[in-house]
Amino acid sequence: MTGQGDGQGERGPVTGQGDGQGERGPVTIRVMGISGSPHRHGNTETLLDAFLEGAGGAGASVEMVVLKDLDFTPCQGCNACHRKDGCIVQDELSPLFDRIAAADCLALASPIYTMGITAELKGLIDRGQFLWARKYIAKTLYYSRDHLRRHKGVFISTAGQSWDHVFDGAFPILTAFFDITGFEYWDNVIANDMDRYGTIRKHPTALAMAREKGQRVVGVIGNMRASSPAGTPPPG
Amino acid sequence: MPIKVLAFATGPRRHGNSETLLDWVLASLGEEPGVEIEKIALSEVRVNPCRGCNACETLNRCVQRDDMDMLHDKIIAADCIVFATPIYCMGICSQGKALVDRAQVFRSRKYVLKLPIVPKERKGKRLGIFIATAGQKMDSVFDGAIMSAKCFFHVIEVKDRDIEYLLVRGVDAAGEVETHPTAREEARATGKRAAARLREMLAPS
Repeated sequence: MTGQGDGQGERGPVTGQGDGQGERGPVTIRVMGISGSPHRHGNTETLLDAFLEGAGGAGASVEMVVLKDLDFTPCQGCNACHRKDGCIVQDELSPLFDRIAAADCLALASPIYTMGITAELKGLIDRGQFLWARKYIAKTLYYSRDHLRRHKGVFISTAGQSWDHVFDGAFPILTAFFDITGFEYWDNVIANDMDRYGTIRKHPTALAMAREKGQRVVGVIGNMRASSPAGTPPPG
Repeated sequence: MPIKVLAFATGPRRHGNSETLLDWVLASLGEEPGVEIEKIALSEVRVNPCRGCNACETLNRCVQRDDMDMLHDKIIAADCIVFATPIYCMGICSQGKALVDRAQVFRSRKYVLKLPIVPKERKGKRLGIFIATAGQKMDSVFDGAIMSAKCFFHVIEVKDRDIEYLLVRGVDAAGEVETHPTAREEARATGKRAAARLREMLAPS
């Protein structure tokens, strides 16, 4: 696979230069949010909404996918993808990987359940094994440094517990997934101690932070495109 | 009274590395007198993910009706709970995570409703065994999974000091654990150690 981040002909508001896949002229920065919460419009999804709102306000095209609405099977651990390209399971999750590959920013959202991400988000991440196999076994998948700096991954999460280490189990999982999907792990938008606040709307800073980071990531990608078209070495 | 062992093979691949390791531990436990073992392969039962509705905080039960109803009672009845998972992408496999998350009903019972998980006389007399295999060899490969496993055991009333760990790195392909230099021996030792601890815990005082 070589088509990460290539334009599918989508054109929109002016926010940057073509990302080196042959487009001419400005191409919309695409921000994709994936909610792994089983709970519609809960704290985590609201935080994701705020992030996407910030990104949309900055001119990006945004879309959100709610994993709980997709009918999909978790990874079967068959390792068939280690021997033959691709996943043998074909279901509603399969096309999502192409959409992820076409995004400039991927925001993955999950509340913390039992010190980890939800089974839904873990279900998506485990199904990425075929990408791992491409990257590390077949070695047909490679992301250049330039690609990685133009593709930003963000983790969005809330946790009931107040512990500082409550997200620590989740971070390495996200790191692994961003690694195989070709995103630089750019930042987190996280809020713990939600059992105290009750609702994210009562959290003093979380929603504002989410909007601000959504806006900022689009700015960062846009500036990068403007200052150095893809394929040219990064300045400095 | 028999010593009741309830074991979960949570990986999607039947008789894969983590389940093989589990089988070795169970075989070792099974050699001991008075040990009664039940193994559940999660891929053969239906445990949906937690819906995050928090209804268990008031209802003291889960709103979902699936095989967790049966597993819930078995978890309470067991003296020893064994949880085996392959590590996928630095964490418990999503099937296993679903079971862990459905233990939320125990967490609500224990910490919100302040109700007992097991009768008073059985508190502190439950053992947990966490078994995991990982394809990767990096030092931190089990760290995230252990955090979730600890929570799972804590909410089902297994104390932190009463969790045994059996973690094997660098086994990925089907059957690879069979060729691991020490895994079988470690599994056997884990079973023996667990049996000894259970006998000590459950000895009439």
